[in-house]
Formats: sequence, structure tokens, C-alpha cells
Amino acid sequence: MNFLATAARYARLTWFLSGVSLHRLTEYRMDFLLGAGGLLLRVVCQVAVIDMVFRQVPVIAGWNYHQVLFLLGFSLLPRGLDRLFTDQLWILARKLVHNGEFFRYLIRPVHPLFSLLSERFLYPDGFGELLTGVALTWYAAAHLALDLSIGQLLLVPVLVLCGTLVLASIKTVFAALAFWTTSSFPALYAANQLGDFSGYPLDLYHPSLRWLLTWLLPYAFTAYVPASYLLFGHTGMLPWLFVVTVALVTLALVVWHRGVDRYEMTGS
Amino acid sequence: MTGAATLRRYTPFAASSLQSLLQSRSTFLINAVTATTAVGVQVFLWRAVYAGRAGGLPGGYDLPGLTTYVLLAQVLGLLQASRVDEEVAGEVQRGDIAVSLLRPVSYPLARFAAGLPVSLCNAGLVAVPVVLLYALLLPLTAPSWTGCVLFVLSAGLSLVIGFGVNLLVGLAGFVTTNIWGVRIVKDSVVAFFAGQVVPLALMPGPLAAVAHVLPFQGMVDGPLRLLLGRYDGAAGAAGILAVQALWAAVLTGLAALAWRGAVRRVEVLGG
Repeated sequence: MNFLATAARYARLTWFLSGVSLHRLTEYRMDFLLGAGGLLLRVVCQVAVIDMVFRQVPVIAGWNYHQVLFLLGFSLLPRGLDRLFTDQLWILARKLVHNGEFFRYLIRPVHPLFSLLSERFLYPDGFGELLTGVALTWYAAAHLALDLSIGQLLLVPVLVLCGTLVLASIKTVFAALAFWTTSSFPALYAANQLGDFSGYPLDLYHPSLRWLLTWLLPYAFTAYVPASYLLFGHTGMLPWLFVVTVALVTLALVVWHRGVDRYEMTGS
Repeated sequence: MTGAATLRRYTPFAASSLQSLLQSRSTFLINAVTATTAVGVQVFLWRAVYAGRAGGLPGGYDLPGLTTYVLLAQVLGLLQASRVDEEVAGEVQRGDIAVSLLRPVSYPLARFAAGLPVSLCNAGLVAVPVVLLYALLLPLTAPSWTGCVLFVLSAGLSLVIGFGVNLLVGLAGFVTTNIWGVRIVKDSVVAFFAGQVVPLALMPGPLAAVAHVLPFQGMVDGPLRLLLGRYDGAAGAAGILAVQALWAAVLTGLAALAWRGAVRRVEVLGG
């Protein structure tokens, strides 16, 4: 009961603070357009590359044009959602520990992680990713004549949510390293870059790289695993998706709490 | 003012930039991972294309040739990643730009002097290891000596073009506060039309035509065509260099104009 009340309180807070952030977006319309438009253009370039690849061959690594587009589109959904809500972690990694400002988030009557993230919800750039992701996935699915069952359709939001949690957890772990090293921006950036591999079929890559992206930095679960389930009905990895999500979220929270404890110890 | 005096005047900018660079060595880690990832994604993608085709590609690239192209395209991208845009925009936003106006030097030139050590360090500390790594893993095309000489010349010009583009993007900080968004647009669009992702020769006709009239092709595609010998005789090579030189001059002029306009704006706001 207590847990439910807490969850409801955080949901209400998230709703309210998202409204505040939305208001900020309407104030800085140019910023919003540039951020959202910039990521849209980036996706357009990615699609153009895929177009050029499929001018040469009908199939790569067993995936056809629309299947690759579907994968790319699907990969943008958790990425966009994650960007909408957790981009404050970049600022933590870059400077909040370094300049000592992090203490602000410890004195508020909410969980410090929530306190940090909620300072700015709805990063405008996330909208660009999310909207192009939805459009691409929709377009590709229409051309593939996907025949999804009701169960599969209901599973889609769960898959996206798990992907978002995986991304957010990887980000949290690397950002929280800042509590030990004062700035973890390079590590976070590097880890984030490796996520670029996940927009293409993992079958392209050398097995060692595939293993790395599945088990070490599990970006595979944010797009490749769910997309190959929806497109080809591959269910082998699907149970692992939930195991990995739960394990990563736990790991992220443990690392986060250890880090915050450490910060309090050194705090002057 | 003699050349030597000019050089002396701008050396401190290069020196202090080098100093701060050596303090933030982690930038090199970021650059190395970014370049390695970008090369990896592209190379694996094109290898799969080759595996699915009987003949070569229409652009006439064979697999080692294309791998070399994709690899060196990222290296050129690294050379141009001097963060001039970020620093200029930052100065504008914090108002530090006012201090720069007091200095008896040309701001764009000072910025160029500060950017040069970054490019050179990236070349030495990041590009060489990344190239060596991929050379161990994949077959590459060894360029000819003429190719290498022409490439060095052309890479120098590409540095100026890249600097011009970055300075213009940085000065956009006078107009918008979301320089981060502008930079994302710049990064993806410039990389695409420079031929950093796909050689211009592999682009479909209309797209290649657009890319050829934009200045960005001089940043990556031009130098690499010279390196890999993809030109028609001496006249072809001279043509590539001439177009690069032209764009370098035009962008330098544009940056100077934009800077002058921006300064006027500062004075108006300065009250």
C-alpha cells in the first residue's frame, strides 16, 4: 500500500514537472525546433545511407530494406523516451559532482535520482527522435505487412519500456562513476557512442562485437532483440530481455546509491 | 607586419590551447571511441553489401578501397573536430567575447591558431592508433606516393574549410541559445555531404550533384579521391585542389563578414 502511494506521488510529480518543462519549450521555440529538427535530420541521413546500401543489394545479413528501416525506427523509440527524461545525467557526469552542486538534489524530499532527473524533463531533442521513430516504424511495418497478434501488439509498449530502462540504466551507471572520478563525461560519452551499433542488424557484426553488445553493454536488447522477435518471431532471447532489464536497473540503483553515499562522505 | 611577427603574435593562442588540451586528455578517449565506432558501423555495413553482390560497386570501389575510404574519412573528420564551434558559441553565451574584442589580434585567426594544435594532436594521438588498429584487422589499400603528397596538401585545405564551417556555426551563438541543436544539425548534415559516411561516387545522381556544389565535399571526399587516385590525370587532381582552395577562400571571407556583423551586434547590445 505504502509502495503504491509512493508510486502515485512520483507519477503525479512527473506529470506536473513535465508540464513545467513543456512550458519552458513554448518559451524557447527556436531551441525546440533546432533540437527536434536536428535529430530529425540525423535520422534522415541514416535513412539515406540505408537507401544507398539497398540500391546495391536486396538483402544484407538476412534483412531486407523495410526490415532494416523497422529496426532503425524501433531503436529510436526507447532512445527518444530515454532522452526525454534522463538527459540530466549528462550534466551530472560533466560537472555537478565536479563543482559540488550535486548537494542540491540531496536536500529535497524526493529520491535524489528523481530529484536530479526532474530538474529538466522533456528534452526537446527527444521529441525529434521519438516522432521520427514512430513514423519510421509505422512506415516500415505497413510495407512489411506485419501480421502481429493482439498479444504481440500489447507487448510492444513493454518492449519499448524495457529498452528505455536498459538505456537509462547504462547511462546512470556511467554517469554515477562521476561520484568516484568527479567527472565521468568521457566514459559516458564513449558508452553512449557504442549504442550507434544497435541501429543496424547485429548479424552484420563480428561475433565478439555482438557478444559485447548483448552481454556487456546490452544495447542489443533495446532494438535488435525486440525487432527480431516482431519481424521474424525469434523468441530465444526474449526472456533474457526481462532478466537483463531487471538486473541492469538493480545494478544502476546500487551503483547510484554507493556513489551518493560516497558523495556525502566527502561532502564538505 | 612581417610574417614572423604575425606568427609570434598568434603563437600564445596555440600554446595555451595545447596546454588546456593536455589537461583534458579524456577528449582523446572520446574521439578514439567515436571514430572506432563510426568506422566499425560503416565497414561492417559495406562488407555485408559486398558479400551480397557478385561484382564490385558501381563507384568502382573494391572492398579494401572502400574500407580505406571509410577509415580515413573518419580520420579527416577527427582533424576537423577542433571544437571551434563549441568554444566560440560558449564565449558568446558567457559574454567572454567582449574580452576578445580588446585584443589587438584578428579573432578568427586567433581561433584558427588555437584550433591547430587540437587537430594535430588528434591526428597523432587518435588517428594513428585507430588506423593501425583497423590495418591489423582488415585489408586496406596502400596509397601511392603521389597520392600521399596530394592528400597532405588537400587535407591542409580541408582543415581550413572545416574551420570556416565551424566558426560560422559558433557565431550562430549570436542568434540562438541552442547551439547544441545547431551543432547536431551541422554534424550530421556536414558529415553526410562531405562524403564521410558514403563516398560521393556511391550516391545516386541528384544527391551527388547537390553534394558536389556544396563546400563540404572538400572536407573529406576531395582529399580521399586524391589519396586513392580517383581523378583524371594531373588536370583532374588540380581541379579538386582548385575547388577546395576556392571554398577555403569563400568560407574564410564569409567567416570574416559574419564576425564583423557579430561584433556590430555586440556593440549594439553592449549599451
